[in-house]
Amino acid sequence: MTEREVVVKSDAGVHARPAMMIVREAMKYSCEVKLIKEDVEADCKSIMSVLGLAIVSGSRLVIRASGEGEEKVVDAIVSMIENNFTIHEKPAEKN
Amino acid sequence: MANTILVKNFLEDTGPIDLQIRLVAGSSGLDKEIRVGDINRPGLTLAGFYEFFAYDRIQIFGLGESAYLRQLSDTQKRHVLEKFFSYDVLCCVFTHNEEPDRQFVEFADQKGVPVFVTLKDTTKFTSSLVYLLNEAFAPTLTLHGTFIDVYGIGVLLIGKSGVGKSECALELVERGHRFIADDVVLVKRVDESILMGSGSPLLKHHMEIRGLGIINVKDIFGIRSVRDRKRVELVVVLEEWVQNKEYDRLGLEETTYPLLDMHVPSIMVPVRPGRNIPIIVETAALNQRLKKLGIFTARDLDQNIQENLKRENGNG
Repeated sequence: MTEREVVVKSDAGVHARPAMMIVREAMKYSCEVKLIKEDVEADCKSIMSVLGLAIVSGSRLVIRASGEGEEKVVDAIVSMIENNFTIHEKPAEKN
Repeated sequence: MANTILVKNFLEDTGPIDLQIRLVAGSSGLDKEIRVGDINRPGLTLAGFYEFFAYDRIQIFGLGESAYLRQLSDTQKRHVLEKFFSYDVLCCVFTHNEEPDRQFVEFADQKGVPVFVTLKDTTKFTSSLVYLLNEAFAPTLTLHGTFIDVYGIGVLLIGKSGVGKSECALELVERGHRFIADDVVLVKRVDESILMGSGSPLLKHHMEIRGLGIINVKDIFGIRSVRDRKRVELVVVLEEWVQNKEYDRLGLEETTYPLLDMHVPSIMVPVRPGRNIPIIVETAALNQRLKKLGIFTARDLDQNIQENLKRENGNG
């Protein structure tokens, strides 16, 4: 099991789009990934579950994963949150 | 989610239970936290017996307490109230619409002890209050699943992400069953034998379907397709079909799923492409209703067969 704590700094908190980014990242791995805020656990692979945590700026989160690729997925999500969900957004491709 | 309830919560929305109360004094203490779900009648305390004074509970002043205070002279009352309010009293409620007098209000304001007056009589108010406190202090669990009312049975679908819980729920709604929550289900043990399930207030009646995105079940299917809460009576565990794994073929044994120290009847349904899961869930719900009525099909059939075999043996 790998676990790391992170504080959300982005002003808007985790609304629909950042939630989708977290879920998309978690879905790349087969292991179980949880997002924990104040003892409430959310399944990182479910958008509704992540949105339901009502994560605002300043929320303290624990990301916990167990299984194959647990370290990688925790690192990826933590860095995504620390970077305010910016680096993972690819510029829209032009046709 | 932390189970904290503040005194001021009584003045806010209390759901289906209306306490019919208003605040008359001590507004500065409204942010006090209620830590125990018990109440106290302070009759003995007012009369001077201060042993076992449960000052940290909600104090209910019924007709008796009000009448006792009324017959005291001003000086006597001052003594009584001085002693009473020297404790860190949580809050007071006067029933039967009995207003506390000026002296009481002054003490309460000074000490920051909220004082309420309710229109209800003592017994009715107490039972409403106990109900609310029980709900607030009930052990709660948030779990990942889908909760739906199928033929009047609260069915909790559990399984890994992507196993098809939401799609199954969607099909059940389409067949006229009522949706309660998807992904985030709050389960509360409101009584020793009752588990109540509901959705997160934030996500109410929303659901994510891969390929569609987020939809609002109430807006799409209408008010008859949703409900807010329901007893959890059956847990259906959806699992990817595992080759060579033994699945229950008879249903002779009753399996249960542990939730908040209770054992909820459960079934395990293996999922594979082409299997119609909603109809299995519907049938499981109906079968559960039969079991509640004492009809246990698998056992009844087994008994019939055994009796038949015995008879055959006897004849032969």
